[in-house]
Amino acid sequence: MSIDDVIAPAPEQEATSPSADLAAAWNTAVLRPLGRPSRGYLITLGVAALGMLWFAHAWAFQLRHGLIVTGLSDWGTGRGVPWGLYIGSFIWWVGIAHGGIVVSASVRLFGAHKLKPVARLAELLTLAALANAGLYIIIHLGRPDRVVTSILPHLPTTIRSSPLAWDVTVVTLYFILTGTYLALTIRRDLAEVRERLPRAFDPLYRVILVGYRREERLKVERMAWWLALGVIVLAPLFLHGGVIPWLFALLPGTPAWYGPVQGPQFLAAALTSAMGSVTILAWVFRRLFRWERLIDDRVFESLARWTGLFALLYLWLQLQQIITGAAMAPEVAGAGAHAKLVSPVFWTAMVLLAVTVAHSGIQSLSPRLFSVRRTAAVAVLPVVAILIDKTLFVVQGTMDPAFGLYHGMGTSYFPSWVELSSVIGAFSIVVLFFLAAMKAVPMIELEEAE
Amino acid sequence: MTEGSRQGNGDGFVERARRLVESTGYDPELAARVARDAQRVVAGELTEGEFGQRYHDAYLREFGRDDRPDAPDSNGHGDGDGARRSEQIQVISRRDALAALGGAAAGVLFLGELHRSGTFALTPGPAPAATGFVGAETEPVQLGMVIDLERCDGCLSCVDACRRENGLSDGVLWPYVFAYQEPDVDDTQFLFRVCQQCTNAPCLKVCPTTARHRRLSDGLVLTDYDECIGCRYCEVACPYGVNYFQWGEPSTYGGSYTGERRDARGVAVAGDPPRGVMGKCIYCPLWQHDPERRGTTACSVGCPMNVIHVGDMNDPDSEPNRYLAQRREENGGDLPTFRLLEDLGTEPNVIYIGTPPSSRAELVDGPIAYATWGAMDDRRAVLEGPSPWFERIGSQT
Repeated sequence: MSIDDVIAPAPEQEATSPSADLAAAWNTAVLRPLGRPSRGYLITLGVAALGMLWFAHAWAFQLRHGLIVTGLSDWGTGRGVPWGLYIGSFIWWVGIAHGGIVVSASVRLFGAHKLKPVARLAELLTLAALANAGLYIIIHLGRPDRVVTSILPHLPTTIRSSPLAWDVTVVTLYFILTGTYLALTIRRDLAEVRERLPRAFDPLYRVILVGYRREERLKVERMAWWLALGVIVLAPLFLHGGVIPWLFALLPGTPAWYGPVQGPQFLAAALTSAMGSVTILAWVFRRLFRWERLIDDRVFESLARWTGLFALLYLWLQLQQIITGAAMAPEVAGAGAHAKLVSPVFWTAMVLLAVTVAHSGIQSLSPRLFSVRRTAAVAVLPVVAILIDKTLFVVQGTMDPAFGLYHGMGTSYFPSWVELSSVIGAFSIVVLFFLAAMKAVPMIELEEAE
Repeated sequence: MTEGSRQGNGDGFVERARRLVESTGYDPELAARVARDAQRVVAGELTEGEFGQRYHDAYLREFGRDDRPDAPDSNGHGDGDGARRSEQIQVISRRDALAALGGAAAGVLFLGELHRSGTFALTPGPAPAATGFVGAETEPVQLGMVIDLERCDGCLSCVDACRRENGLSDGVLWPYVFAYQEPDVDDTQFLFRVCQQCTNAPCLKVCPTTARHRRLSDGLVLTDYDECIGCRYCEVACPYGVNYFQWGEPSTYGGSYTGERRDARGVAVAGDPPRGVMGKCIYCPLWQHDPERRGTTACSVGCPMNVIHVGDMNDPDSEPNRYLAQRREENGGDLPTFRLLEDLGTEPNVIYIGTPPSSRAELVDGPIAYATWGAMDDRRAVLEGPSPWFERIGSQT
């Protein structure tokens, strides 16, 4: 492959186009979810709506009484932690949001066509996950009503030194880039099968398809390619390998956070939970719509391998931290590592990740043991593990401060019902988002006949 | 490396100012002269006061007003614009000034750029003189404390005085007194912990709103209660643990502040904070406007042992510095002093007389309990919050 192929791939070289019959059959299968809602659909919708309502009720309770209804307190003499599950969940959702770009970039930039059937699912997950991340920032605030009036006017100043200002900027940018990317690629599909789409969403299609012309395809392909390139640089290097870990890694007063390994480690965590989430999502859709031939076994083989690899990378970086913290580090810097080693929560997360790695390894070495269903079940483990581990990480920062006298104070934290309800709420939002999306747009990219 | 050389290409800088202003119709030569002298200010060849004075008339002629922070006030001297709120706000104001006055205010903006290169450096900042205190011929005022730990007996009068003055909610301990013991030492030792008023304050850097800011008139690090969004980033960034968030309605857990909140600038900074925003030890900022009480705080006045000495740490003649010199002299020129967690690069403005707690120090009960003063030191106990309806139903059945 020459450098020209990498920099400006011609779209016709990108995918091998199937025959007309095959493409038609593929597209018919892809459009299957667009029909009338089934009973299962309505039940799921009801449950998810209840989940979200429950969360809305919990949040309303918090808005009414203040953050006193959380399990948080001040660190130090307050004997608690000021950042807890909300920030842990925020990190988790931004991490999951990396699934979209990893899969899309693999397909579009690195030619991993195997994963193409789950690319759109992953991109949609990115949008929903980023929306949740943004929501968590708002829920976390004492004065959410001031978020626009206090942050935006001062951004030119605060962007110089506040990692939180960097963070808001990069998450917004990532959201816009992914949204644009998705809109561009969906546009072509919608135009292709416009007459087969439900009439109810016509106004939406009219907006997405505004000014559409068949000749734009080449241009759109190239735009999508450059967008994918932009996001693959932005997201791993400056989001979960950048501003999110820098929120913590730059603060020397909290040794459990401080240090350069946080960037790589956050990124490894993001990729692990993202690939796990995409696996679960792919399995659910494959099962619901009998998409065994669209999302075939090879997709799951590949996803399981990537999940295992990223989980291994994460464990290895965790080991780096523990070893440097526990061996000969100054007392203060070592406190975080020692606290981890005696925490059952920490070991729970590590065991879940270790099982993920072992499963992926064994399955890769011995292909006859491969099972799609088990792969999907095991994929839940790293996703849960990263939420636990990241929340613990957030909590431990202020539990083991550099100011040694506080260590004898007896700090504790357990999330309140309001905080736990937010986890249910955020999950329900993702479910509702997908329930809506699957009725409006093709969840797998359509195939074009030659 | 000097501040001037950090900017790099000096002539290019002046040229940029000239070009920028040329496009606005204002006098490009004035801009070039201002830009050149702005560089000289940073290089230390010209004081900010001289700079402010030098172009005052030219600015009035050209624009009809002179809103620069360095500009002389109506008396022709002093800290020009009292409304300039902080290091951070100052930057915004300069931008606003640029928009309002046209491009020729570029000289001001460029001076701001040079200042900021020091003010917002991620490494420990420059000497206080370069951190944006403007208009002063001498070093800027930086309130701080000298704490004589050798005199502290752990009576907690300071804690009580502060709670009364600021109407603090339960569990909020702006000053806190650690009682601890070192191995092999019989006596209980004390560490009085307040805001360290850091020159290189991490809380101020991380704030996403500029609510946490430095008041230019006396260097106090304060929180604008009207601007704070309650993200608590300042709280996790501060290595000293001096921030206390207002988790609920203050009145529901003992908060009783009803006094004036706004200082002379009109910024709400005083007293126990309202719900949802951050509070911390503030060195009684309204007292510092009052000629009778300037240079004191509720805790320093309340201390019966003369432990706490408040004043301008940059002025060798200030009360804390004189006290330090006197104690040193009494001790034969050799007095043990330290600054708290100084190796973290925060440049704290509190000097302790005594020895810092070692890593083997263990907390012990002090001679007087917090409860004796009606205070409490475990805030979790009051942060329960109301029960939701389903818990009430559960408890009724």
